Amino acid sequence: MAAPFVFGALLLVVLPAFLSFALAFVQYDALSPPTWRGIENFAVIFRREVFWIALRNTLVFAFSAAPLQALGALMIALLLHPERRGVRVHRAAVYLTSVLPDVAYALIWLWLLNPLYGPINLTLAWLGLPTPAWLVDPRTALASLVIVAAVRVGEGMLLLIAAWRTAPDSIYDAAQIDGADRLRTFWHITLPWLAPWLLLLLIRDLVMAIHSSLTPVILMTGGGPGYATTLLPFLMYEEAFTHLRLGEAAAMMVVVFALIGPPIGLAGWLTRRWWREDAA
Amino acid sequence: MIRIVGVLGIALLLSAACVALEPSSARAPEQTSVTFLISGDPADEEAYRTLVEHFMAEVPEIRVELLNIPGQGDFRRRLTADFAAGTPPDIFLINYRRYGPFAARDAIAPIDAFLAQSDVLRREDFYPQALAAFTWRGELMCMPQNMSSPVIYYNKDLFDAAGLPYPTNDWRWDDFVNVAQMLTRDLNGDGEIDQYGFGVEAALVRAAPFIWMNGGEIVDDPAAPTALALAEPASREALAWFVSLQNAHRVVPDAVAEAAESSLSRFLNGRLAMLMESRRVVPEFRRIEAFDWDVAPLPQGKEQASILHSDAFCIAAASPYREAAWRFVEFANTRVGQTILARSGRTIPSRIDLAQDPAFLDAQARPHNSRIFLDAIPTLRAFPALATWADIEGAVDAELKQAFYGQIALDDAIAAATMRSAEFFSRQE
Amino acid sequence: MQRRKTPQRASGAATAVKPMQALSAPFGSTALQRIVRLWRRKRIGRLLRHVLAWSVAALYAAPLLWLLVASLQPVGQPPPRTLAWFPQGVAWSNYLEIFRVAPLGRQIGNSLLVSVAGALITLLTASWAGFAMSRLPASSRRWLVGLALLLMLIPSSAVWLPRYVLFSGMGLLDSYAALVAPALLGTRSLLALMYYWSFHRISCEIYDSASLDGAGVWALWRRIALPLARPTTLAVAVLAFTHYWSDFVDPLLFLKSTQRFTIAVGLRMLQQMDATNWPLLMAAVVVMVAPVLVLYLLLQIILDKDASLHLRSSRLWRDAPIHLQLSAGSRTKEERR
Repeated sequence: MAAPFVFGALLLVVLPAFLSFALAFVQYDALSPPTWRGIENFAVIFRREVFWIALRNTLVFAFSAAPLQALGALMIALLLHPERRGVRVHRAAVYLTSVLPDVAYALIWLWLLNPLYGPINLTLAWLGLPTPAWLVDPRTALASLVIVAAVRVGEGMLLLIAAWRTAPDSIYDAAQIDGADRLRTFWHITLPWLAPWLLLLLIRDLVMAIHSSLTPVILMTGGGPGYATTLLPFLMYEEAFTHLRLGEAAAMMVVVFALIGPPIGLAGWLTRRWWREDAA
Repeated sequence: MIRIVGVLGIALLLSAACVALEPSSARAPEQTSVTFLISGDPADEEAYRTLVEHFMAEVPEIRVELLNIPGQGDFRRRLTADFAAGTPPDIFLINYRRYGPFAARDAIAPIDAFLAQSDVLRREDFYPQALAAFTWRGELMCMPQNMSSPVIYYNKDLFDAAGLPYPTNDWRWDDFVNVAQMLTRDLNGDGEIDQYGFGVEAALVRAAPFIWMNGGEIVDDPAAPTALALAEPASREALAWFVSLQNAHRVVPDAVAEAAESSLSRFLNGRLAMLMESRRVVPEFRRIEAFDWDVAPLPQGKEQASILHSDAFCIAAASPYREAAWRFVEFANTRVGQTILARSGRTIPSRIDLAQDPAFLDAQARPHNSRIFLDAIPTLRAFPALATWADIEGAVDAELKQAFYGQIALDDAIAAATMRSAEFFSRQE
Repeated sequence: MQRRKTPQRASGAATAVKPMQALSAPFGSTALQRIVRLWRRKRIGRLLRHVLAWSVAALYAAPLLWLLVASLQPVGQPPPRTLAWFPQGVAWSNYLEIFRVAPLGRQIGNSLLVSVAGALITLLTASWAGFAMSRLPASSRRWLVGLALLLMLIPSSAVWLPRYVLFSGMGLLDSYAALVAPALLGTRSLLALMYYWSFHRISCEIYDSASLDGAGVWALWRRIALPLARPTTLAVAVLAFTHYWSDFVDPLLFLKSTQRFTIAVGLRMLQQMDATNWPLLMAAVVVMVAPVLVLYLLLQIILDKDASLHLRSSRLWRDAPIHLQLSAGSRTKEERR
């Protein structure tokens, strides 16, 4: 019964993953048959300054968006954890942001961040605060994308709330006897309990931040101004489909895999370790 | 309930498979169907649809399916993807700056042989500049459909309101800046500019005419380019003037204002006095009722120069229906075919005999000053034909945009563009 | 302000926390203690929490309200330069106009077809895979669950380039088959794991007694497993439907005929036509977003309403990601079964 699943996994993920490694070593424009090129593709992309800019942008983006996202998820989980009247509405409001289609989400933010007419700048102006040009200014463009990505904390919030519930009451009982206040209870009991999940969430967000950046970049900035928001997935997309250099795009993909490989490995190792201890 | 879901699922699986296997369109057995890909706004699409309908009425055995992908970038990626998939459109309309990658990879079927055998089309009927732009290593690759150059569209009502005379055909750079400054206004006194004098895309294709007018060059050797020549004094001076329109004179919307509302949209809504654009906006502009408008030539510099804009019909080498495709291309470029498109306002015919024709020089239809498009023809120059030209232009535009909006210094922009484009001059594709 | 890290946190082993010892650790400055004292006063704390919760919810809901306001702004006028909570001159005609300038109706139809087909196939494949995981012997199960977890970390957006080459070789480009293909592996392996986790809790005795009655593996899946996992089915259906409805990169790459375009690509085309025509663009966004929001709200209501299901379903719905992690990590738990 798992046959379609396994077949699909092999055909759509495992085979393509191997194929992209193979593509990285050929010259391929999709019009004529591929020809062997060895490591020349890597040499070419490493010589290109724009590649390094994109790599730096990608790292900056992922390593600021993912921690912010995890932190945001934790804060909101803290706030919306207890079952109270209205809490479902609160959670739904936060969660719905995460289920909006990417295209719609990007376009909504394009409007929110509109430097002249967008509600955010109008609000800032009303409060007498400075109004940055957001996506239009090379200095704030990448930061704007980070904000847009970091605000989507719905899934993380649900995950942490659920993780919290799995905490046995016994550890809180002890704290109550001791007369600990809520802040200390959180700091010494809840946080350590949530730590493994928080770390997994962080790693997942890191991987997803890199991969899901293509849609917002295409719709919101087109990689600009200059190369301020050119991230690797977008550069790959441009290389492959605007300039017909699929081999070089695949080489970049290998670099991306090399980047996210260690976090994935770490996630796997940590999961195993933690739950083995847990069970022991 | 579960059974229903299961059965429904399988049924849908099958129907999805059927949809996948079904050919793209059901056609009568004797009818050949060809696809024709363009990129334009709804007004463009309408013009080409009229052409297609005329053709199908004339030649009922060939069905032409018109596809439109708005947005030049998306259009090019779509075209590339189609070629890569082995299912290119039989015919596509493309700018001469963009066909290089396809020509270099033998993806386009040259039309020399078709043209030689044609009873209705002769090479001499067409402007040589347009033919030259689509000649790749001695072979004519595509059939030029139109030919134009950028001009200044201006809002007559705003000129009247400011008490300014309309631009003359021999105005110069300084006149232009003066006029633009007088038309840039804060109407309600809130400190924000409500009406801009000028709108232009910060791109090499817009700056190029001014570089040439100033005696500068874009590449070191137009016949066999090996590097950008934008740092040369004459080129740099022209670029400095171009970017000063925004970052010094402030007659062009700044980056923030442009992001909030595009110059094109401002012009359409009567809040921008002059706009530098090619001929392609005319069908849309003809729908403007709120104000009157016309065209003026680009302001002149030391020499007369402008840049060629030309799109051509290309036939995919991989198309199984090249003959049928040619019949459509042939029809589109006859007097009848080009007249249909000229009437829409979209194009200036590439046929010499039609340029003087009332279909194009229609006294009733705007722009009334259409003759300036013809006057510019002898001065037109083109970008070099390189397979990697799109890369080079992309590298320049990314920097030029930042210099234009005052985000980086012009000299840094030129240096960065020169360095980043270097690899694409030497690259063999 | 210095905070001493407790050794427990550093080790990360949750069960190793010894509360008494942890609480005796020195903590914070006077400022912090003052906040703590304030926090202790329950009423203020509760009020603060309440206000904070509502403001967070409002903050997250505001974009949707602004979206609606922007979509009703008349076209052609410069948008207001002051904050507008209500549109100036409500232009409902924008919603008609978008259907005129773009083939939105057709694109919605295409999206519906793809999403419904994708969701239905997903229900089959994901529940099969989940069922197989729950019924297989421990060794093969571990292998399968491991594969599913690995897939979770390689999202489809990571492999679009080779997939494109692959689909092009298989002649699947420009067909809905290319879009629906991920349904083979349950769209996202998370969905298969959700089923696994939900089937996992069904006790063996139920299966055993059914098997004695001569029920085969398919009958077990259909008559016992699926009906007991109704909330999961609902959740998976909504998640899968939304996935295909929202998918942008796949149709952007794999479709070429404009008449097959889905609404996600349609929105992009609308943006390309006139990037700063905000009212029309936002109206189209509303059209795309509405079904997703309605589906999620419906799901919430259905799951809430079903009182008997409530506890299980809501836990299931929220706890799924945790439990799939659990199921991957804890060997002993699996072996205990």
